Amino acid sequence: MPKTDHNEVVEASAPADQRTVLTQRRTDRFARVEPKGKRVYTARERAEMLVDEGSFVEMAPMRSAGAGAGSGVVAGWGTTDGHSVVVVSHDAAVASGAIGAVMAEAIQKAQRFAIDKGYPIVYINDSGGARIHDGIFALHGCGGIFALNIEAQSRIPQISLILGPCAGAAAYSPALTDWTIMVKEQGQMFLTGPDIVKAATGEDASAEDIGGSALHTKVSGVAHLEVDNEEEAFHATRLLLSFLPTHKGGRQKRHDAVPANPHAAAALPTLVPEKSSIVFDMNKLLDGVLDNGARLELMPEHAPSILTLFARLDGHAVGVLANQPNARGGILDSKASVKAARFVEFCGRFDLPVLTFVDVPGFLPGTVEEGRGVITHGAKLLKAYVDTKSPKLTVVVRKSYGGAYIAMGSASLGAHANWAWSNSEIAVMGPGGAVALLHRRALKEAEDPTALRDELAAVYREEVARPYLAAEAGIVDDVIHPEETRDRMVAALRMLTHGSAV
Amino acid sequence: MYLARAEIVSNVWKIVAREGDQVAAGDVLAVLESMKMEIPLVAQVGGHVSKILVELGQIVQEGDPIIEIDETASA
Repeated sequence: MPKTDHNEVVEASAPADQRTVLTQRRTDRFARVEPKGKRVYTARERAEMLVDEGSFVEMAPMRSAGAGAGSGVVAGWGTTDGHSVVVVSHDAAVASGAIGAVMAEAIQKAQRFAIDKGYPIVYINDSGGARIHDGIFALHGCGGIFALNIEAQSRIPQISLILGPCAGAAAYSPALTDWTIMVKEQGQMFLTGPDIVKAATGEDASAEDIGGSALHTKVSGVAHLEVDNEEEAFHATRLLLSFLPTHKGGRQKRHDAVPANPHAAAALPTLVPEKSSIVFDMNKLLDGVLDNGARLELMPEHAPSILTLFARLDGHAVGVLANQPNARGGILDSKASVKAARFVEFCGRFDLPVLTFVDVPGFLPGTVEEGRGVITHGAKLLKAYVDTKSPKLTVVVRKSYGGAYIAMGSASLGAHANWAWSNSEIAVMGPGGAVALLHRRALKEAEDPTALRDELAAVYREEVARPYLAAEAGIVDDVIHPEETRDRMVAALRMLTHGSAV
Repeated sequence: MYLARAEIVSNVWKIVAREGDQVAAGDVLAVLESMKMEIPLVAQVGGHVSKILVELGQIVQEGDPIIEIDETASA
C-alpha cells in the first residue's frame, strides 16, 4: 500500500479515492496553519478576511518548502469592493514565517503577477525575517523581494500590514512599500529583536520599545497608521484602496458627489481667527470644503503640524495636505516636510489630485531643526510638488510666509489653480519680524516703540502682505471669500480632470 | 507623575495653571510663543498640578518639562 508524504494510508488507483487523496492533501496542508500566541487568525483566514467574501483564490496552495510544511506564505488574489487585488500573507505557523528560498519565490511570483497585470498588492507581514537554515538562498530571496518592491513603486500601490513581530527582511520590505499599517501591541518592526539587540550592544529593550506601533507611528514615521486589531487593519486597507486606482495610469475611482457638511460650510466665514497668532482646528475647515464622506488620515500622530489625508471632492478621490495650527502652530519642520513630501510624491505617482490648504507661520528655524537637516528635508517637499503632474489646487486661508509659502504648493511649484482668502497674508515674513528688521533704527529711536511697531505692522500688512498684490501680479489666481472655496475647487478639478460632464 | 513638555522651541508666554490646581485632561496649562503663534500646552492627563517648572519669558527647547502633574491626586 502506497504511503503519502504525510503517512496517511490510501488506496491506490480508484478514481473515487483520488478525490479522497486530494481532499486529504488539502486538509493536511491547511491544518498545519495554526494561529500562534495572541494572534487569532491563520494566514489564509487573514487573506480571506481582507478581500470580498468568497473572492480569495490561492495561487499555489500545495507549494511546500519540504518536510510536509507549507511554503510559509499564502499568496493569491481577490477583490476589495469589486476591484482586484493581490495578497501575500505570511504564515507564522511555518518556521515563524521566516523567509526561506521557497517562500521568497512564492512571494516574488505574486509580486510579478501584480506588477505585470497592474493590480495593487497587500502584504500581510508576520515573519521573523530571513530563514537562517537557508543561508545565502534566503538572503538572495529576500533581496529579490526588495527589488520587486522597488520595481512596483512606479507601477502599483503597495500596502503593508504588520500583524506580528517583523524582523529584518520582513521590516525592510514594508519600508519599500507605500503605506504601512500596524496593529497595536501585536505588530512590531525592527532590524533585529530584543535578544540580538542585547547581545550586540548591551541595550535592554522590549520588542515594543524597539519596534512597536507607538514608536513607529508617532516617533519614527516608519509606519503610517496604528489600529487596535486585525479586523481594523483590514478595514483600513480596504478604505485606503477605495481612494486609489489599481495601477499607475489606471482609472481614478469616482463616487457620487456629496456636499460638504452643511454646518461646517456655514461656519467657514468665521472659522479662522482674525488674529494670526491664535490657533484653530484645520479639520473643521476641511469639513466645510470636502465631500461629507469617507476620509483616511495617514500619519495622524507623526508630525501633526501638517495633515495628510485621502478624501473626496465632487466625488473624485483626492489627496489633501493642510497645515494644522492646532499642533505646534502649524509649522513646517524636518519631520513635517518628509511626511508632506512623501504624501505629495505618492499622489503624483498615481495621478491623484493634490489639494493644499495653507496657514503656515514658516519653517521652524534654530539649532535643533538645522541639526536635523531641515534644509534637505524641506527641499524634498519642493521637489515633490514640482515632480507631481496631477492636478494641484492650493488655497491660502490665513497666512503664508517665506520658504514655507513656496513649499506649500505655490504657483511657482506648478499649482494649476490657486486662491487666497480675502483676509490672508502672503509675504517673505510676518509683519512682526519684517517691521523689526526693516525699521530697526526708527524703532530704536522712537519714544513709543510699541505704538510705532503696531503702526508700521499695519502699513506692512496693507502695502506688502495683502493677497490683492499677489492677485494683481497673477501669482495668485484670485482672492476669494471662504464660502466660495468649494465651488472654485470643484470647478477647477472638473476642468483639470476632464470631468465636466458629472 | 506626569510632565507636560514643550512640543516646540519657544518662550513661555502665559502660565495658566497654578500649583495646587486640579486639572482635567484637555485643560490648557500654559501658552508657549513660537513663530509668532500662541501654542497652548494642553494637559494629557487629569490630576493635581504639583509643580511649575518654568518662569514667564523663559526660553524652552522641544521636550523640556514645563509643568508637573500628580495623576494619583485626581479628584
